Amino acid sequence: MRASQIAVFVVLGALVLAFPLLVNAYWLTVAILALFYAIVAASWALLAGYAGQFSFGHMAFVSLGAYTSGLLVMSFGVPIPLGMAAGVVLCAVVGAAIGYTCLRMRGPYLALFTVAFSEVLRIVIVSENEVTGGSGGLEVTPLFHTRSDAPYYYVGLVLLGVSLGLMVWLERSRWGLFFRAIRENEDAAAAAGVRVLRFRVLVFAITSSFAGLAGGFFGHYIGILTPDIGSVDQMGLVVAMAVIGGAESLYAATVGALLCEALVEALRSYEQWRLVIFGALLLLTIRFARNGLLALAYQAVRQRGLRGLVSRKAGS
Amino acid sequence: MLIEARGLTRNFGGITAVDHLDLAVRQGELVGLIGPNGSGKTTTINLLTGHLAPASGHILVRDTPADGLSASAFAARKVGRTFQITQLFSRMSVLENMLVPGLARAHSTWAEATRAARRHLEFLGLSHLEKLQAKNLSGGQQKLLELGRALMLDPEILFLDEPFAGVNPFLRDEIIVLIQTLHAEGRSFVVVDHDIEAIQRLVQRLVVMARGAKIADGTVDEVRANQEVLLAYAGV
Repeated sequence: MRASQIAVFVVLGALVLAFPLLVNAYWLTVAILALFYAIVAASWALLAGYAGQFSFGHMAFVSLGAYTSGLLVMSFGVPIPLGMAAGVVLCAVVGAAIGYTCLRMRGPYLALFTVAFSEVLRIVIVSENEVTGGSGGLEVTPLFHTRSDAPYYYVGLVLLGVSLGLMVWLERSRWGLFFRAIRENEDAAAAAGVRVLRFRVLVFAITSSFAGLAGGFFGHYIGILTPDIGSVDQMGLVVAMAVIGGAESLYAATVGALLCEALVEALRSYEQWRLVIFGALLLLTIRFARNGLLALAYQAVRQRGLRGLVSRKAGS
Repeated sequence: MLIEARGLTRNFGGITAVDHLDLAVRQGELVGLIGPNGSGKTTTINLLTGHLAPASGHILVRDTPADGLSASAFAARKVGRTFQITQLFSRMSVLENMLVPGLARAHSTWAEATRAARRHLEFLGLSHLEKLQAKNLSGGQQKLLELGRALMLDPEILFLDEPFAGVNPFLRDEIIVLIQTLHAEGRSFVVVDHDIEAIQRLVQRLVVMARGAKIADGTVDEVRANQEVLLAYAGV
């Protein structure tokens, strides 16, 4: 790594760490939510972009993780980290069950099945209002009792770092290779000795547990949970974030989520039009940059860099 | 026996694609499986490699029952295959295509799998393409890569479904030599193809199927003289 690259990383790292000191409370909240969405978008990218399982029920696991932790903490006095861990475990188990149930489903059938699961869970939460608080919401103990949201920012940063690190490690392991092989061709993967059933179930379990972790963090930050967190609207937002960034790259999906959350907030003065702008951006990405805008930008920078190098050499 | 089918039957709706088939392949045999379109050749391969479950009958691998095993379990028992229409991991590199079966093997390591992959790519003449995405290979190169991927399982028996289809005569000869070399190493083969000339050059034993059933099984000369085979092919 060159000295200039190290310098860029050091400056970026310092900016990320000092961020709560540089912005007001509003933008700190936006950053914390962006970190939450980044975990969800990256884990969805692992599920859909890498393993090819286009689930539309990922936010249902966010909801499941959030409500599990919230209810355990509020009803049984379980410590928050333990509640969040329980949410992660439950999401892994339910994720594995969903993965097993829809083994034979692909493409639109899988998407429809997971939408149905998502809606069933949302309606159960709405209906069981004596337990979940229904549409009125469930008040959840916050993770910190501080005036500043800075501790949430750092916890979110650590959770994103650890989650992304684990996902990248997984993606680079033989399991990551098998996930991609299953995405490309399940019959060929099976003929090559990959236990397709096992790995489809595993990828659902793993990615659902990350969604549950993000959900637990979200609940204990926001302080009130409503069934809308698992809605199809929210799922659409996460898919858009991952696709705009690049759903076949964990880093691109992560940065896509961070930038999109910032963009949505930056355009708040445009009221409903911001969603139109966001939608248009998504349409353009799907039409002209199927690997995401970040991948496109990265390629453009590389090509320009190479051309610049070539012209400099030619000139010398 | 290396692999054996006993009374294997498979239906699709009201059609019997494979009808009480008995077929056994011994260690080191090179068998040609031929028959008119729709005679059940590919279904037979799918059944004998775990890609389809039989409606009735039994499969034995090395004299051990293999009924109900998945395709990956057959692969783990060193039963490899290629497909009628080449099935690759298109958006993965040539080397990654090879590494998938290499790493799917029990107790394999990245270093061992990479070494084996490069050795097979060298054998197939694809070494210089290892970083290329599989979708960017020519049709012939894709066929070779699919064969290489099957070789990564270190198979004792390989089912090749139409390895000469859509292949130019030079590559066809190259594939024949490759199969002969691998056969000389002790691997067994079942080769399905419509290129009768290539099959005759290659195999010692010929099995003929028609309407899901085996109608002939013997040497090339024996099968040539079989009236039922002539009837099935030419409607004589």
